[in-house]
Amino acid sequence: MIELKNIEKYYATKGIKNYVLRHVTTTIKQGEFVSIMGPSGAGKSTLLNILGMLEEPTYGVYEFLGEDVTSLNERKRIELYRNHIGFVFQAYHLIDEMTVYENIEAPLLYKKVGSSERASRIANLLDRFNIVAKKDLFPNQLSGGQQQLVGIARALAAQPSIILADEPTGNLQSAQAEEIMQLFQQLNKEDGITIIQVTHSEKNATYGNRILHLADGVVKDDVKI
Amino acid sequence: MFKLNLKIAWRNLWKNKAYAAINIGGLALGLTAFVLMLLYINHEESYDSWSPDLKSVYQIREKHDFFTPDNKEHWQDAVNSRMAALVRNNIPQVQAVTKVDQEWDWNNGYSLKVDNANPVMVKKVKDADSSFFKVFDYQFIQGNPETALKSPKSIVIKESIALKLFGTDKVLGKTIKIVIWRSDPGQLMTITGVVKEPKTPQSVGFNAIMRTGDKDKDPENITNSNYCQVYAKMNGAIDTALLNESLIKVYVNAKKASFAQQKRNFNDYYKNGKLPGLKAVQMEAVHANPSLQISWKDKLKPIIGISIFLLLVSVINFVNLATAQSVQRAKEVGVKKVLGSYKGQLLMQFLLESALQSIVSLFLCVILVEMILPSFNHHFNVNLSFWYNPQLLMMIFQLLALFAFVTLIAGFYPSWILSNYNPVSVLKGNYENGLKGIALRNILVVFQFVISVTFIIAIGVMYQQTQYVSNKDLGFEKGNLINIKSNYEETFAERLRKIPGVKYIATTTQVMGNAFNVPEEITYKDSKIPLNTVTVSIDALQALGVKVLQGRIFAKEYKQDTVNSIVLNESAAKLIDKNAIGKMYDVKTEKNKYSFQIVGVIKDYHNEGFDKAVLPTIYKVTHLGGTSNTNNLLVRFDTENSGNVIKKIEAEWKALYPDYPMSYTTMSNAFDKVLEDNKRFMNMIILFSVISVSLSLLGLFALSTFVAKRRTKEIAVRKVLGASNIQIVNLLNKSFLILVIAANLISWPIAYIIIKKWLEGFAYRIDMPVLPFIVATIVSVIIAVLTVSIQARKAAVTDPVNALKYE
Ligand SMILES: Nc1ncnc2c1ncn2[C@@H]1O[C@H](COP(=O)(O)OP(=O)(O)O)[C@@H](O)[C@H]1O
Ligand SMILES: [Mg+2]
Repeated sequence: MIELKNIEKYYATKGIKNYVLRHVTTTIKQGEFVSIMGPSGAGKSTLLNILGMLEEPTYGVYEFLGEDVTSLNERKRIELYRNHIGFVFQAYHLIDEMTVYENIEAPLLYKKVGSSERASRIANLLDRFNIVAKKDLFPNQLSGGQQQLVGIARALAAQPSIILADEPTGNLQSAQAEEIMQLFQQLNKEDGITIIQVTHSEKNATYGNRILHLADGVVKDDVKI
Repeated sequence: MFKLNLKIAWRNLWKNKAYAAINIGGLALGLTAFVLMLLYINHEESYDSWSPDLKSVYQIREKHDFFTPDNKEHWQDAVNSRMAALVRNNIPQVQAVTKVDQEWDWNNGYSLKVDNANPVMVKKVKDADSSFFKVFDYQFIQGNPETALKSPKSIVIKESIALKLFGTDKVLGKTIKIVIWRSDPGQLMTITGVVKEPKTPQSVGFNAIMRTGDKDKDPENITNSNYCQVYAKMNGAIDTALLNESLIKVYVNAKKASFAQQKRNFNDYYKNGKLPGLKAVQMEAVHANPSLQISWKDKLKPIIGISIFLLLVSVINFVNLATAQSVQRAKEVGVKKVLGSYKGQLLMQFLLESALQSIVSLFLCVILVEMILPSFNHHFNVNLSFWYNPQLLMMIFQLLALFAFVTLIAGFYPSWILSNYNPVSVLKGNYENGLKGIALRNILVVFQFVISVTFIIAIGVMYQQTQYVSNKDLGFEKGNLINIKSNYEETFAERLRKIPGVKYIATTTQVMGNAFNVPEEITYKDSKIPLNTVTVSIDALQALGVKVLQGRIFAKEYKQDTVNSIVLNESAAKLIDKNAIGKMYDVKTEKNKYSFQIVGVIKDYHNEGFDKAVLPTIYKVTHLGGTSNTNNLLVRFDTENSGNVIKKIEAEWKALYPDYPMSYTTMSNAFDKVLEDNKRFMNMIILFSVISVSLSLLGLFALSTFVAKRRTKEIAVRKVLGASNIQIVNLLNKSFLILVIAANLISWPIAYIIIKKWLEGFAYRIDMPVLPFIVATIVSVIIAVLTVSIQARKAAVTDPVNALKYE
């Protein structure tokens, strides 16, 4: 599903190249659950952003579903967002002015899903995540864990084939974190959704089936569990 | 999607209530001023558009120097009555030509009397010839336009007058007695028609059109002329330029023939740039090009400029506040982009938000317009309405265009900024770095303050000029002096002189409020000097209370005063001779030569506004060399308690002239009237300035709120590091203070240029003062600092722990 060949990323400050990623080459197959680990500043987020096409690598080739996407035009990229990629953020990033229901609905509106289909999908997600009662609340009326559930529900609404999550449990207490991780595992196993997450916690990483260890922008280790 | 966006827009507005109120309220104010202008412009533009037939109607104008305030040649709509026949006989396309009275400002109207009812003064009762309704296609409710003016002594009245005089419009065949001046025995007119008020205003406005018969013929003596307005209706549309070519040819030929008949030399008369001229002005262009006043378009220009500026100030608030709050919206943009939103969709969303605000402003504006219209109408002496406007449809269309324009201009830039946010910066959590538009915002704040400071300076200078003018020595005593609208008549004057409290009864052709200039060329020591001539009764100069500089003014003791004595004003003395007393000069006409002796020089006294210089003038009691009777009867009191005296005068009047009510004006009122235009303009500027300054300040207030909010963390850190509250207030003030000072520096030269131009419109004016400039700067700085400090203090005194905890 994902092919990275020799991905490099640097920021030039005052003529000096500061490498964030070096020679990253890897393949991620459909259905994998990959955890990216490493010390702070190792380049994990940068790698995830590149995977999510939010940033462009300085060098290297990135193929998504067999298509070279290193420099994709905006329209094509947005098509991919609409149909294939779901994002989950550490800070949840729900839209404050929208209710839980509307937050989950937003990607479906962009994808132009019909209204009855939309209603049933959202009902399903609310049901599945046990947040039916919260559907008319605004994000700031929810706990962190609940907000992240909504974040994940929103990412799933468009039925993506891959979810990219940057420290999805970073702001949560361990009980809530565990719940989210179990959910990810379930999505991966039952729905076959590919998941790539960045995490600091060894424990969280064990929910997946592969760990990429990153240090100073280099993949130090690639472990299958 | 649209619905959701609308919801979000609404929630956002609600969340930032204060900010939204400032935005919407400010915009509504800006729009209101603009819409009032629009209404006014539409009204003025609509003149003479009430019938498609008017497209083929022309007003005839002649170039001449009678009745002009500066005694120079102008194109005038008061033309020699012979022009009607000239046009009718020489222009083949003419279908009908009519002669009608021109409008006199000074005229209080005629007295209309129905049976034994009290006489009523009605303005705009005009005398015309039989063709009036053949040229102007009025809609008759009663009577027949073809025959209405067929016989003399008939009158056609407007519906409103019929209702006013009779209480019904079924008035055909009834008679009205029309008394034109006080001792006029009156003429009985038979009503032959009642016409409907047309949908739009008319240049040839009237309450009644009568046919006395005076307009049927021209004076028999070739040297006499009557002046009136002449309108011609052509059969169908014709080329105005071609028409004017033939008119000028016909006119020159006619003039030559007339001069030959009078044994005068045509070339002698038309020299030194003086040219014969006759032209036709299409009806639709008449109102926009009045013959002696400035047109409404020119009058309105500064006000249009000001209201556009006002709109700009409020739009700037809109842009500034929207970009300032974009920090809050950045996350939404970033997230929506990764959820699959196109940039265009986001752009539309934000434009929708500004559209929502401008539509609310527009509604508010309509309400405000409704509220303000009565006083606006009063102020500008018009009768505008919004909902009952005959051009409501056009108005709504204009409003929609305005709405689209404001939405785009106010919403596009912030929307563009917002929709361009890079999602990565948002996701990294440092979207404050993505904050854009600071430079533009600063420029806009400067721009706003430039406008406001310029306004403040303008108020200051205008105030000083107004003070100067209202305290200026007029050259005559305006207190205890009234002017009755009546001709001077010796027997009546004698009766009035007997009333205790009356000091002088006099007349003059020229006094403030009703000045009638007669040009005359004198010959002094072989040089020809053009001067203005005023005819006075013997004690008129005493009655006015003018100041004698040299020699003496007229008095009964000097027999020759009624023959050939002359008094000059200072300006004339400067032109003729510094030591003019006792000297003689000549006035030559074609046949005769008259000699006059200068007996005195008086200080210039004002009889027009201060925009006009006092003309070099000669005063004479004698009628030799031409005169004019104007409706001035001056009464000077020697008591402060003039009310009782006036009552006695009125009683005297009523006994003699029961059919014609007396009307008068005090000279103080006449003076106020002269100042009125200027005062009106100044009030307007003050109003606009206050609005503009408060809008700018509201904008600054909201902007500083956002800046303070954005810098909460910085402020907290600084406080933890030991900064005092004052230091923090100063920190926030500094950035705005620089902007305000920059704005002041920019507005000084701008204000200087504009005000200089304004002052140059006055013949009597102050020197450019410095004080308003300094005051404006100090005021603007103080207000800005106060405004920002309120917000800055709030930010400074908050507990730093709260701000830092949220990391
Ligand atoms: N816009 C930028 N300019 C310069 N350096 C950057 C930029 N964004 C990230 N970096 C640097 O890249 C490195 C990797 O960052 P990141 O991928 O966020 O690390 P992490 O592994 O903690 O997620 C860090 O050293 C960071 O300072
Ligand atoms: Mg990171």
